[in-house]
Amino acid sequence: MKDQKPYEDNQLKILFTQEQIEEKIGELGKKISADFAGLELILVGVLRGSIYFLVDLTRKMRIPFAIDFISISHYSEQADSTGVVRIIKDLDLSIADKHVLVVEDIVDTGLSLGYLLRNLKSRKPASLKVCTLVNVEARRIVEVPVDYKGFDVPNVFVVGYGLDYNEKYRNLQFIAQFDRP
Amino acid sequence: MGIITISREFGSGGETIAHFVADKTGFVLVNKDTILKGLAEHGIEVPNPDQEDLGATEGKKGQEEQYIEAMHDFIYDLAIRNDLVILGRGGSILFRDYPPALHVRVIAQFTERVRRVMRAYGLASETAVRLVKEKDRGKILYLRQVFNANWNNLRLYDLVLNTEKMVLEDAADLIITAYRIHAEPREVKDGPPLGEMEDRVFIPPAEAEADQFMHPSEEEFAHMLDFYRIRWQYEPRTFFLEWDSEGNVVEAFSPDFYLPDQDLFIELTTQKPRQAWKKNRKIRRMKELYPDISIRLIDKRGFESLLKKHSIDQDQGEEDDN
Repeated sequence: MKDQKPYEDNQLKILFTQEQIEEKIGELGKKISADFAGLELILVGVLRGSIYFLVDLTRKMRIPFAIDFISISHYSEQADSTGVVRIIKDLDLSIADKHVLVVEDIVDTGLSLGYLLRNLKSRKPASLKVCTLVNVEARRIVEVPVDYKGFDVPNVFVVGYGLDYNEKYRNLQFIAQFDRP
Repeated sequence: MGIITISREFGSGGETIAHFVADKTGFVLVNKDTILKGLAEHGIEVPNPDQEDLGATEGKKGQEEQYIEAMHDFIYDLAIRNDLVILGRGGSILFRDYPPALHVRVIAQFTERVRRVMRAYGLASETAVRLVKEKDRGKILYLRQVFNANWNNLRLYDLVLNTEKMVLEDAADLIITAYRIHAEPREVKDGPPLGEMEDRVFIPPAEAEADQFMHPSEEEFAHMLDFYRIRWQYEPRTFFLEWDSEGNVVEAFSPDFYLPDQDLFIELTTQKPRQAWKKNRKIRRMKELYPDISIRLIDKRGFESLLKKHSIDQDQGEEDDN
C-alpha cells in the first residue's frame, strides 16, 4: 500500500537531529523552570502535534506544574469553507488566576494561535505565554507573542517530532524538511 | 477646483443624475463626449471610440496607453481651471488623493436596470440583459486594466446611492448636499479619523457580492480569515508608485487585503516565482515609497502551505499577471 511506505525516503531532508532537539529542549526546560519558579503553572498542550514536545519538555523541567490539553478546528480540515474556528476539546482545568504556558509544535501564520490566545485570555489567567518548538516567522500573518522557541525555520514545510503531513511522520525523532509530492 | 465623480452601474440612472448635478451646481460635466471632443481638439484620436473597455482589448496597446494617458492629462488640466462632475473613467481613482472630491457610486438591482434599459432603448428583455452585462463587464475591465483596481470595491466611493426607489433628481440633490457637507471645511470634525471609519464599513463577506474577488485564491484566503475570525478589507487602498514628468500617475498598486487589527496589507500571488517578479518589484517600490505601511506577500508556496490539506486546485486557479 502506498501509505505504508517506509519513512526513510528521499522526500525528507533532516534539518535538526535528535541530539540537537534534545539539547534545545533541555535549554527551554531550564529557562521555563527558572521563569516560573514559585508560580502556579499550567502547561496547555495544543493537540495533536505538541504532545511529543510537551512530554520531553516537562521531563526537563524542575518545578511543579499541571498539564492540560486543548484542541481547535483547523481551516484545512473543514468540509466546506463556511465555518468558523471552534474548540473541539476544551481545557478540563480552570486557568483563572493561574500562569499559563501554551505549548505548540509549530507557529507559522499565527492564525490558529491568535484565536487560541484570544480565547484563553478571556478566561483571565494571571499570565499567558507561548512556547513553540518550531517558529516559521516567514509565514506569519497575525502577530503573536512567542516567548520561548526552539528553532527558527525558513518558509519550508517541516515534519517530524510531532509535526505531520496528513498524519504521517509525527513519530520521527528528528525534524525534516518535507517536499510534498 | 470642485470635483464630484460619479461611477454607475449601467441602467442605474447615473448618467441622468450626473447631468442634473452638473446643471444644478454649474459644474462642467465630463463624460465620454466631452473627452472625445476635447482630445480631438488636441488632435488625439480615440483608437476605438465605441469600445467601453478601452485598454482591455488585445493589440494596439501602445496607442491605447497613449490615449489613456492623454485622457488623464486632459481631465487633470480641466480640473485645474474648472469645477467638474466626472462621469465614469475611473474618476474616483484619478482624484482619490484629493480630499475635497466627493466620489459617488450609483447602483440599482440588476432586474431593475434591465427594465429601465428595455424602456429607454426599446429593447427586448434578452437584448437588454446582454447589454447590461456587457456594459458592466466593460467597466470592470476598464478599471482593472487602467488602474489595476476592482470596480466592485465600494470603498472607492464616499457615497453609494441605490436608485431603485428614488427619483433621479432627488438623487442629484442628495449628492449636491453630500458634496457641500463633504467639501466645506469644518473646525470640529465629528467621529474618529478616516482610518477608523474605514474599519466600520467592513462588510461581512457573506453579504459581499460573490464576484467581488478577482481570483479564486483571494476568495479562499478571505474564507480562511473569516474562519479564524480575522477582520479584513478587500483592496481598500491604491498606492501610487510611478509618476511621469508631468506628475500623472502611471503605475499604481492595490494590495489584495488589509487586516485592520494587524494594520497589515497582504498581497497574494499564486504565480510561480519566475512569473511573480513584476509583483515583487511593485512591493519593493511600495516599501520604498511608503515605509510606514506594512505589507506582506504570500507567495505560491506560502499559500499552498496555508491550505495544506485543503482541496483547492492551485494549478487550475493560477492567476494571470497583473
